[in-house]
Amino acid sequence: MTSFLTDLFSNFWVSLAGKLLIVALMIPLVGMVIGFAEMKLSAKMQARVGPYFAGGRWGWAQLIADGVKFFQKEDLIPAEADRPVFKLAPVLVLVSTVALLVVIPFGPDLIFRDLSVGVFYALAISSVSTIGILMAGWSSANKYSLMGGLRAAGQLIAYELPLVLAVVGAVILAGTMSMAGIVEAQISAGYPFVIFQFVGFAVFLIAALAELTRIPFDMPIAESELVMGYLTEYSGFRFLFFFLAEFANMFTLSAIAVTLFLGGWWLPGIPDNVLAYAGPVILVAKVFVLVFIMIWFRWTFPRFREDQLQSLAWKVLVPLALANIAITAVFKVVLG
Amino acid sequence: MTSSPSETETTVHPLQEFADAVAGGVGGEAEIAFDTVKVRVAPEQWVSALTTARDELGLVFFSFLSAVDWSAEVEVGDPPGDEVEERYELLAALGDISAGHRVIFTTDLAKDSPVIPSVVDVFPGANWHEREAHEMFGIEFTGHPNLANLYLPDSFIGNPLRKSYPLLSREVKPWPGSVDVEVMPGGDEETGEGPSEENPEA
Amino acid sequence: MVLDQDLVRHLSESSVSVELETEDMTLNIGPQHPSTHGVLRLVARIDGERAFDVQPVIGYMHRGYEKLSEVRTYPQITTLVNRIDWVSGYANEVPFIVAAEKLLEIEVPERAQYIRLILTEMARISSHLIFMASYPLELGAPTPLFFALRERERVLDLLEGVTGGRFHPNFNRIGGVKPAYGSGSSTRKVIQDLPAGFLAETRDAMDKVTVAVDEINSLVAGNEIILARTKGVGVLPREVAASYGVSGPNLRASGVGFDLRKVEDYLPYHLFDFEVPVGENGDCWDRWHVRLLEIRQSVRIIQQAIDGIPSGPLQAKVPKVIKVPKGETYVRAENPKGEMGYYLVSNGGQGPYRLKIRSASFSNISILPWILEGVLIPDIIAIMGSLDFVLGDVDR
Repeated sequence: MTSFLTDLFSNFWVSLAGKLLIVALMIPLVGMVIGFAEMKLSAKMQARVGPYFAGGRWGWAQLIADGVKFFQKEDLIPAEADRPVFKLAPVLVLVSTVALLVVIPFGPDLIFRDLSVGVFYALAISSVSTIGILMAGWSSANKYSLMGGLRAAGQLIAYELPLVLAVVGAVILAGTMSMAGIVEAQISAGYPFVIFQFVGFAVFLIAALAELTRIPFDMPIAESELVMGYLTEYSGFRFLFFFLAEFANMFTLSAIAVTLFLGGWWLPGIPDNVLAYAGPVILVAKVFVLVFIMIWFRWTFPRFREDQLQSLAWKVLVPLALANIAITAVFKVVLG
Repeated sequence: MTSSPSETETTVHPLQEFADAVAGGVGGEAEIAFDTVKVRVAPEQWVSALTTARDELGLVFFSFLSAVDWSAEVEVGDPPGDEVEERYELLAALGDISAGHRVIFTTDLAKDSPVIPSVVDVFPGANWHEREAHEMFGIEFTGHPNLANLYLPDSFIGNPLRKSYPLLSREVKPWPGSVDVEVMPGGDEETGEGPSEENPEA
Repeated sequence: MVLDQDLVRHLSESSVSVELETEDMTLNIGPQHPSTHGVLRLVARIDGERAFDVQPVIGYMHRGYEKLSEVRTYPQITTLVNRIDWVSGYANEVPFIVAAEKLLEIEVPERAQYIRLILTEMARISSHLIFMASYPLELGAPTPLFFALRERERVLDLLEGVTGGRFHPNFNRIGGVKPAYGSGSSTRKVIQDLPAGFLAETRDAMDKVTVAVDEINSLVAGNEIILARTKGVGVLPREVAASYGVSGPNLRASGVGFDLRKVEDYLPYHLFDFEVPVGENGDCWDRWHVRLLEIRQSVRIIQQAIDGIPSGPLQAKVPKVIKVPKGETYVRAENPKGEMGYYLVSNGGQGPYRLKIRSASFSNISILPWILEGVLIPDIIAIMGSLDFVLGDVDR
């Protein structure tokens, strides 16, 4: 039986189909779990209970119910909207998230595709969602959406730079751009890179929050000002795409942060044969710590104004990240 | 805490000195009734009186500007009763922001041509109050930058707060009076009133 | 592929001159909008993110109270009047009833005055807690909303226990406050007073409100983002504020230490010891901070009032059918939103001849065209929220 399965999956097309299936299932699942965590955690922070009825006392079926609700809604497209662009925008945002999952190492040999330029690919693909958001804002034929889309464009482009610069320090320490290779470098060094790259880690986390347009960086959505910003005219399953993409993106960007700075699927002191199975669990646990921090920030802080946001990116984060690169490079050369 | 002009001459109202100072400063007549100082000026003095009040008498706070329609025949409510001089009485309440003095400046406008200069240059806050008085009473404020309707739709015809303007819902259906009043606990069985209009025991 | 040399030369020599013409956009903020505290419409002409001409359009909630009060009796008008500023329901009734009592020249019993004072201060706490809840929400922080509303529930439950209504108490009668009914008696002579335990529960609730306000303060006051969004934003100089008629915490935040509770006699505030918080710069942060300090002062007043409340009747002797004699008076009060006044013209009838209602928010938002000149759009929301107005108060 096992030889039959191994032969089957050694076929390129079958294994490709299997990987696609896993990725396709992971995105909604991760989205729902993180969405549910957000509902319950925010409720705890606000002296509420959170989802209570769907699925018994713990309300675990709430997001499943929400998903079904969104799917069965009428597909409304504004009359003045640019229809092809309107329909394409949420797809683009979701696709960039899905494509990010490809390079995340879940275990010693568990990676969909170990690209030698894994980090570069991840950062490049995550910026494709910017185009999707701009398309959403422009095509909705609504002044509020247009303003939200333009704010988003400014914000996301501004925060790409700190995001990219922050990881250069880890890449220098590891000596490779391959994601699996960076984890291996941390294992052989014996410590996660965050110990020396805490500045890079902090900058990456802040820039990741801005890329996700979560509070404190949610000017593009800014519910109390622009109704819903670029998402105003989206309803039904198109909104579900954006919704899922946001939560799944939380997962993927956190996973990148964990891989680059926190040691990925590795924990010191665990033998290798256990790591082969425990690796994904450890990775997911570390990712959820970062996701918890992101949720915590969202419910505590108000939002930045657009110009304050920009000055934070250009005047604070970029110089910090550049300084981090310079110092790391010097130390790497001197200490070897 | 109560006072009225009908008290004996030996007690002077505590606000008398202030009232006289204001009246003297703007050239009007002061009257004090129920703790309220009213200073009456002629319509020609209206803007200069308010300017003097703001600059020299320390009354920098603009409270409100409105009007009272004195008419012998009314469409709503009870008529005034005694012989009343038919006019629009324009009121402007000013105050200071230190001792809490307040004065109501008043002037009388003729019913057939209620025109008066605007005080927007003296107190910018009068802008909206004058717009409201214009749409509610039909008073013209010359020199106002934008005398458009404030509350009412642009197509509204009429000046609602004039006594000659009826309450349209009453025209459609007259006031039914007390109907089906349930007797309050401890109340009178016949009249249906409750003990709240009685004097309660301590 | 060989590039056409002529084309290349042409392209490199031709200069591009494009005049960037930007058109301004007219954006309607409201009437349905999450942040306008009701049906307020702002017609804003914006250039990018900056608004340069903001005109408020009001009147969506105009209910014609001044006309209606000409056909109502005084107790009936009480029901209308507490719907003006519905967030602080009780505080609207008091100056109106005091105006009628002034013309009637009746003395209100001391116990009734103390009760009126306690309930007015509770209305002030309730209104300021709504501000504490909604203002961070407009800036983007959703959490203080829940803390503040949870505390407001305590105050509203107390109000409901004594008056029967959370938002619209109808508790005043000419000559005092409405007495409660005793239980089980069918005679008219029933002992009528506050519900048992009300004062003790109020004292208890005030302690909890103090704790909650400290909690909200710690969540908001040290937060750099809130400070960046509110400090220096929407500065209102004191002369402009006074000339527009801006009153209440907005005026005090601009540095004017003027509180009607200290200079007017509609309620016995002179018997109590309390401070008047004054701001320094007149920006949004000061308007927040002044209201926070006012909650603490209100708690202080309530505690003193509960300690010193005298016994006695709840209502003065008044005739069965009340006709207020001829006269005119203007009574103004320090409402949570600002100065609320009633100019009452009476002709000896059962209702007024003319009742002019001077509402605080009407003057407070007449300053919007001045203060929103050249301001960024997120700041429009921050400034509007800090003025703390309610549309019922604006439109009457």
